Amino acid sequence: MSEFISSGGTPAIQVAGVIKAFGDVTALDGVDLTVGTGALAALLGPNGAGKTTLVRIIATLARPDAGRVRVLGYDVAAQPAEVRAHIGLTGQYAGLDEELHGRDNLVLIGRLTGLRRRQASQRAAELAATFGLADAMDRAVRTYSGGMRRRLDLAASLMSRPAVLVLDEPTTGLDPASRQHLWAALAGLRAEGTTMLLTTQYLEEADRFADVVHVLDRGRIVASGTPAQLKARVGNRVAEIRLDDPASAVTAALALARRLALPPGEIGIETGVGRLTLAARDGTATLLAVAAALQADGIGVDDLSLRQPTLDEAFLALTGVAA
Amino acid sequence: MSAVSGRFARDTGLMAGRQLRVLRMNPGRLIYPLVQPLVLLVLFVSVLGNLAITRQASGGSYREFLIPGIIIQNAALTAPTTGLALLRDASSGLADRFRSLPMSRAAVLIGRLASDAVLFAVQAVLLLCAAALLGFRVRTGLAGVAGVVAVTVAFGVAFAATSAWLALLIKDAETAERVLFFPAIAVAFVSSAFAPVSELAAWMQPIARANPVTAAADLVRSLASGTPAIGQLLQLACWVTALLLVPGILAVRRWQAPA
Repeated sequence: MSEFISSGGTPAIQVAGVIKAFGDVTALDGVDLTVGTGALAALLGPNGAGKTTLVRIIATLARPDAGRVRVLGYDVAAQPAEVRAHIGLTGQYAGLDEELHGRDNLVLIGRLTGLRRRQASQRAAELAATFGLADAMDRAVRTYSGGMRRRLDLAASLMSRPAVLVLDEPTTGLDPASRQHLWAALAGLRAEGTTMLLTTQYLEEADRFADVVHVLDRGRIVASGTPAQLKARVGNRVAEIRLDDPASAVTAALALARRLALPPGEIGIETGVGRLTLAARDGTATLLAVAAALQADGIGVDDLSLRQPTLDEAFLALTGVAA
Repeated sequence: MSAVSGRFARDTGLMAGRQLRVLRMNPGRLIYPLVQPLVLLVLFVSVLGNLAITRQASGGSYREFLIPGIIIQNAALTAPTTGLALLRDASSGLADRFRSLPMSRAAVLIGRLASDAVLFAVQAVLLLCAAALLGFRVRTGLAGVAGVVAVTVAFGVAFAATSAWLALLIKDAETAERVLFFPAIAVAFVSSAFAPVSELAAWMQPIARANPVTAAADLVRSLASGTPAIGQLLQLACWVTALLLVPGILAVRRWQAPA
């Protein structure tokens, strides 16, 4: 996978030195990031990291205190109308009129973006079919399930065929089937060349679908790169040790720390299943050292393996916060 | 410039259409603005309509005096629903949706006011029909009826714009719900809606004379009876202009303000 997908020219989203405070709370503390044209970028971060604030600034809903944001070259502060004409927003809460039918919502939003009535109706029917909502178009949105509401909200954001789509936690609160459905839709948009920036708390989603991941923590980007690059930051491999006796996990971790001269914090402990993990900086040599150390202390090992780190582990290493 | 005003007109129409469609799909929403006023009219007239208040200006019966007051009182009581509806939009995901669209931002409030103008007109016509059954006559014919409807709509829309600004100022929907109706009731009482200003408590009289409810109610009375009331017309025009300009523009600005 290419590092930053871009068809040359200006990137679709450029964020430079953005600072935003709400009273005493600094939500964004000098954020820089770039999303190449046609890329699907994930903004990953714990709750309160500033993800929503950044999305709102990009979508012209909030103004940065300092710094500059450009969408397709348009400055969000100086040219908000141009930005709005080219982006679609799927916010954290569905931007729909609950009282109106699905179709009325799509047509209303389409017409507010400048489509004529006939164009809006056609586009609404098209999107309803794409998102499996054709049968629900003549029902009030308040009768929709959470997944249907999300899909209709996404469809509403797509009425004007925006070049850039910004989504704030699009899959939060969805059941696995709805999440799959939504991701399939986003994959379709990506294939059509839509640039997307989405926030998510689901690391495995970012891992599977994003071209680039930006990790936001306490208002700063602490890491950017492809999922593979981020995982490499934790060390290329992780040694995983499954103990014979789960109850010996803590003893085993302390023994390893002592014999391998590691700070105890570097060893992940899952007491329930008796599993330890640590960065295997020397690959198989680390594995051998682990085996020797545990044998010396007479701790029984059921399984010993090297594997790729998960994005979870990368995230923990980068932010110090479990996602 | 013409593209901008064209978009404003189109978006205002779309937003007004949205509101009217919601009302059509949820007829229960019409109970408050259309059915309750009819009930209030019948109650007030049945309880108070036969009182003999002799020292009033128009010289007619108290019933003729009271009914225009009730028409305006009901418009004042309906106006806060505009603010509450706007606040509901503002505190839902819909606000972000609208703000992220390349649409006219003023259209959200103005469109709402436009659809509410339709509602105020229907309310006035219904009340005039019911009042006719209770013996109330607009002596100036259809032109007079049109005048009464126009006065009610202008008064109602001006109050609705004010309620929009207050609601966005209060921000919390539940607080707004409890706070907005109270001044609407008070403002209707401290006026000539139910009794001539000269019959009110002394301290109330200066307030009542300045009150737009007094101007609107007196104007409806003069339209119904055919006596000219240029003073009241000017006073009401000033109030309507001032309320649409000051709270109206402040409400639009509050809606637009990015965080």
